[in-house]
Amino acid sequence: MAAFSFTRCLVRSYFCVKCVDHVQTRLQTTTRMFCVSTSRSTQFTDTEVQDILTKITGLDLKKVFQPIRQQLTPPKYKLMTDTELEEAVRKAEEQAKHLLKMPPVLPERKPINDVLSEDQMLEGMNTAKYVFTDINFNVPHRERFIVVREPSGTLRKATWNERDRIIQVYFPKEGRKITPPPIFKEENLRVVFEQDRHEDVLNQCVVQFEPDSAEFKNVLMLTYEDIEKHGKYDLLRSTRFFGGFAWHLVNGRRIDGLLVDMLQRDLMQDAVRLVRLFNLIHPQSESAQHAQRQQATDLNLLKIYAQYESNRAGFIELAVQTYEQTKAPSSF
Amino acid sequence: MHIQELAVLRQNGSLLTTHWNSDLPHISCHFTTKYSNTGKIFACKHLNQHEGLFTRFVLQGIRDWKIISSAAPGLKFRALSSSSSSSPPSAENTESPETLSRYSDRPWEYLESEEYIERYGAKPVWANYRRNHKGGVPPQQTRKTCIRGDKICGNPCPICRDPNIIVHYKNVNLLQQFISPQTGIVHDPTRTGVCMKQQKLLNKAIETARDCGLLAVQLPHVDYSKEDYSNTHGAVAPTPAPVSLRSGELWYSWYGSIKPDERELARVKRIYKDYLKPDV
Repeated sequence: MAAFSFTRCLVRSYFCVKCVDHVQTRLQTTTRMFCVSTSRSTQFTDTEVQDILTKITGLDLKKVFQPIRQQLTPPKYKLMTDTELEEAVRKAEEQAKHLLKMPPVLPERKPINDVLSEDQMLEGMNTAKYVFTDINFNVPHRERFIVVREPSGTLRKATWNERDRIIQVYFPKEGRKITPPPIFKEENLRVVFEQDRHEDVLNQCVVQFEPDSAEFKNVLMLTYEDIEKHGKYDLLRSTRFFGGFAWHLVNGRRIDGLLVDMLQRDLMQDAVRLVRLFNLIHPQSESAQHAQRQQATDLNLLKIYAQYESNRAGFIELAVQTYEQTKAPSSF
Repeated sequence: MHIQELAVLRQNGSLLTTHWNSDLPHISCHFTTKYSNTGKIFACKHLNQHEGLFTRFVLQGIRDWKIISSAAPGLKFRALSSSSSSSPPSAENTESPETLSRYSDRPWEYLESEEYIERYGAKPVWANYRRNHKGGVPPQQTRKTCIRGDKICGNPCPICRDPNIIVHYKNVNLLQQFISPQTGIVHDPTRTGVCMKQQKLLNKAIETARDCGLLAVQLPHVDYSKEDYSNTHGAVAPTPAPVSLRSGELWYSWYGSIKPDERELARVKRIYKDYLKPDV
């Protein structure tokens, strides 16, 4: 995806009209490297994937609109008719959907190592680096020029960490600190995970870091690993992080724990959707091929997955059978 | 004959000393303060001298009383050792009021101890504290500090009056008592009665605890819909190498289409005749 954007940039920009040979060969090699993963496989932003993930996340209004700590006002009471009440519930659901928008899953950003000029004349003139920032208000942060003049005289573009810090100094975002808080250190994370406060950690992470930075991905990965290890899947259900969590598991081919948890909570539809997502992302896997051949739907998908891919086949099959048995007499 | 001496500094600043003959089998002394509403008693028990045990002081409910080692100059608290008179009175190390506590390493353990529960129960530590001030409206700032050097003021604030209560960022249960459970805002010192020095320490400890994730923080919702993460702009992407012109090509495409004025061109050529290339 990054390679394609790079090519797109070169196509659009002025310089690409006169493409130099070495640039073109570099482009070709990068496209060849990336074409296997990006062009054919499904992305996080595909509509079908997003649809599945939102449905799996669920919409528990009580959890989404949990009372938060804020300045208290006296409560307001309204008398409503039934239609008005339904309208109010519908509005609440829309607001909840907006709150449950998933943070994007992006490839890690490439480091910036660009030297704009080398001036040996300026060597030794200063003892500190100078950072020049463009502070025009209407410029998006990703298009803001931030350059650093080193004491050795080189003028270079600022690295991503420096960029984040400087932008936070001039355009502070609420809740974000200039240096990352100590909650993201290993020992503090361990303490917080023991208290089952994974959602708080993820909220902090989302506020503090950019979604394509290395630290963001690292913290997310640590949280996901901890949840997967202890099986605390319900903590993230009906929050905005469940989609990213499910995506991470499916990409790592480790959906057994989550499937078992869903089956234990009688969420058959969600389990089916999860297996369908797995087949979408890994179309070469055995279960996907068998499902494609048999055009399987619903519980048959689960059975095929349990047969070919899963480590906990026994449990999944048993759960499917019990569900079918309970459904058959109730349909009468 | 061994004279044992006990000195107690009362909360209004007066000094109470008592001596007793430790050769006698048993002495117990009781002091009640007329200020205490709860009627807590300070008692000291002196165990039987014949058994050769050294004296232990049982402090019960030191609501308004404090034993200070070197509170007033010239006063020494002699720790009572065994019966041998030859042993020199080994004083307990002279500690200032602030460091006299056996919970200084792990201050959170005090909040689970019996001492704490008996004294405060389930209420916060500042629940039964009342400031002394003139008139109906209290001053909008509490006093600057309760402890100056070795001296403690009268009616110290809820944190200073109990040396076992230590403000530390890991002491989450104590910090929670000073945060409103509904709004998450730190209580004003006029409400809790703490002195300004302790309030500053509290604020810092609460901020550190929130940074380390020990206390819950309310964070704003981050909206991702308006940002573009393609990273294609020249500010963050590598700058392409400068392109060299092929022969015959112009730097700007419109160079060729604009024709200069002939007379102006001739005039400029005449002026810079010596510097132009021969073929121009």
